[in-house]
Amino acid sequence: MDVIMPQMGETVAEGTLTVWHKKVGDTVNSSDILFEIGTDKVEMEVPALADGVLTEILVEAGETVVVGTKLAVIEGAGEAAAPVAEKTEAPKAAPAGPAASTPAVELPKRDRSMKLSPVVRKLLAENNLSHTDITGTGRDGRIKRGDVLEYLKGGAATAPTAPIPAEAPGAISGEGITVVPFSYRRKMTAEHMVRSKATSPHVLQAVEVDFSGVNKARQAIGADWKRREGYSLTYLPFIAKAVCSAIKEFPHINGHIEKDHLVVFDRVNLAMAVDLNFEGLVAPVIRDADLKAVTEIARATNELARRARANELTPEEFANATYTISNNGSFGTLITAPIINQPQVAILSTDGITKRPLVIEQDGEDLIAIRPVGILAQSFDHRAIDGSYSGAFMRRVKEILEGKNWVEAVS
Amino acid sequence: MAELTYREAVIEGIAQEMRRDEKVVFLGEDIGKAGGVFKATVGLWDEFGDLRVRDTPISEQAILGAAMGAAMTGLRPIAEIMFSDFLAVCWDIVTNQIAKSRYMTGGQVDLPLVIRTANGGGARFGAQHSQSVENWAMMIPGIKVVAPSTPADVKGLLAAAIRDPDPVIFFEQKSLYATKGEVPDGEHVDEIGKAKVVREGDDVTILALALMVPRALEAAERLQAEAGISASVVDIRSLVPLDTQTILSQVKKTARVVTVEENPRLCGWGAEIASIIAEECFYDLDMPIVRITTPHIPLSSADELEDAMIPSADRIFETVRQEVD
Repeated sequence: MDVIMPQMGETVAEGTLTVWHKKVGDTVNSSDILFEIGTDKVEMEVPALADGVLTEILVEAGETVVVGTKLAVIEGAGEAAAPVAEKTEAPKAAPAGPAASTPAVELPKRDRSMKLSPVVRKLLAENNLSHTDITGTGRDGRIKRGDVLEYLKGGAATAPTAPIPAEAPGAISGEGITVVPFSYRRKMTAEHMVRSKATSPHVLQAVEVDFSGVNKARQAIGADWKRREGYSLTYLPFIAKAVCSAIKEFPHINGHIEKDHLVVFDRVNLAMAVDLNFEGLVAPVIRDADLKAVTEIARATNELARRARANELTPEEFANATYTISNNGSFGTLITAPIINQPQVAILSTDGITKRPLVIEQDGEDLIAIRPVGILAQSFDHRAIDGSYSGAFMRRVKEILEGKNWVEAVS
Repeated sequence: MAELTYREAVIEGIAQEMRRDEKVVFLGEDIGKAGGVFKATVGLWDEFGDLRVRDTPISEQAILGAAMGAAMTGLRPIAEIMFSDFLAVCWDIVTNQIAKSRYMTGGQVDLPLVIRTANGGGARFGAQHSQSVENWAMMIPGIKVVAPSTPADVKGLLAAAIRDPDPVIFFEQKSLYATKGEVPDGEHVDEIGKAKVVREGDDVTILALALMVPRALEAAERLQAEAGISASVVDIRSLVPLDTQTILSQVKKTARVVTVEENPRLCGWGAEIASIIAEECFYDLDMPIVRITTPHIPLSSADELEDAMIPSADRIFETVRQEVD
């Protein structure tokens, strides 16, 4: 039986085979993990799906291949086991030529071999590429949009942004050091972080927030919530809700930067950075978060984190984020300067919330009160907005968190 | 959900609104006792009687003049023009009177009326009874233009047109009258001005209206199966107002766009949309905009000639396959 590169979500055309878990000659069971694949969004373990002996490996670890490529051969596959080839989607069929039933409609042929379409010109200009860099796969060798996109996906190292830091050449474990090779996800993260810093002039702004009002709501329904839902109601969904509300007044926060303009979105697709137990970082998306209540955001966040850690997310679940929140609060950090999730305008870090003495005013008198206080820090892209706009947005987030009747909002 | 034909959906749409609002009246040629020449009004006269369902003399100008007067004095008339070709004799009352009254009176006069008409070819009626004239109507400022492709849309959009405070021309494609489809039970009202993405695809967007929608869908299935081309199909549904948001977002996604129009090529609705696309998202295009239309000629009543003139699923398939590279 042939082992085929599976389709990992509708938008993914290719992937990198990162690790083989079996070698030629090994006996495999259908449920054994045979290999792992990675795309720019996810990593996934793939089972053998057939019993037999692995007789041939055709694609080595580290190679990037298109969906449908034959990867290996398992012989002696049991009849009962469903072969991988049938379980995965077939690759896009090559044009089958005119079917017998089609009428003879002949259109005038256009010679487009040397012509670049508007979208191809735009993509080349945006990425400082020349048409000579790209191999056209269209008719007469025309460069199609997809050819440029493929090039950009595969050619990150040759793109004008900084290259991925290479592993220390020649270093080997032993002599008092341990060499930890970057996982596929580590490499992707590294590449994205370097690109983001090289692309966006980051500015950090932070506000101190008194979370007493939020705490009231957590105390009001927290115990009941934990019993019913099986996990704690944290500060995060309240912060997310406040961010979504504030974005309505400061819409330019919720955008993508494209070359010389800002694309502003009506809906907030909120990416939530999820740590995979120190094994990497992903940022799945809560769609239309601005339409969701605090409790709905809490459930969505918990579900995404659970599925992220179980490696169950699909590439679509990472797509089209418009703003990102990175939650470092559980580590008790004071403040974190987050790196923008490109091509978004800004990213918020939520850090530790602890009881602190706070000077408050009551009946015209200054008093020291004990309040749960935390710092919210936002990095924004100074190309898109200025400090006044970001600062006003942060002030609004703070006002909402401190002033809104959250007990009412969750009951 | 009940399965209805396109013509039964017309009857249901009118009946739903006549039951709901006694101001809704219906007039036209042979629409009463005879049930309409396309049998798309059967039963309405029996239910609502002579006063509200009125047969008229064979004078299209009189029908629309009466409808306009009725609308001005507080009724919500539905007027049938048996063949859309006959709108040609009505253009003064439609373009100069009905479409302009709200503006000319400074907003004092509403004309909540619907002009229903059987449009398009495929039924061997010849050059004077087969034209697809939705582009004529689209050119008139002051009038809404709707052309559904499914029974559900017929009922929902007809109800919306009747409730609309402004004049609407409602084009029913006569070759679709016998087609069937699921229609929601109970009251069904849709929204005028929203296109529908009826098939999602990645490689090319096919924009279609009325009879061209099922043909585009058939072609899209074959493109997927035989050429590996994944086509989005958008049912435009309403030419005025035009849902440019849906259209442009699909075009941006696929970078390629093809219009499929039953109206003759010159100044067909696709030309207007192509111009909007060129202005709004030129830099997203990966292929010249392609228009598939009926040619700029009178339609033949001969079967084979008429079939060769109006865009078919085969022609859509072949054109898209050859143009998308």
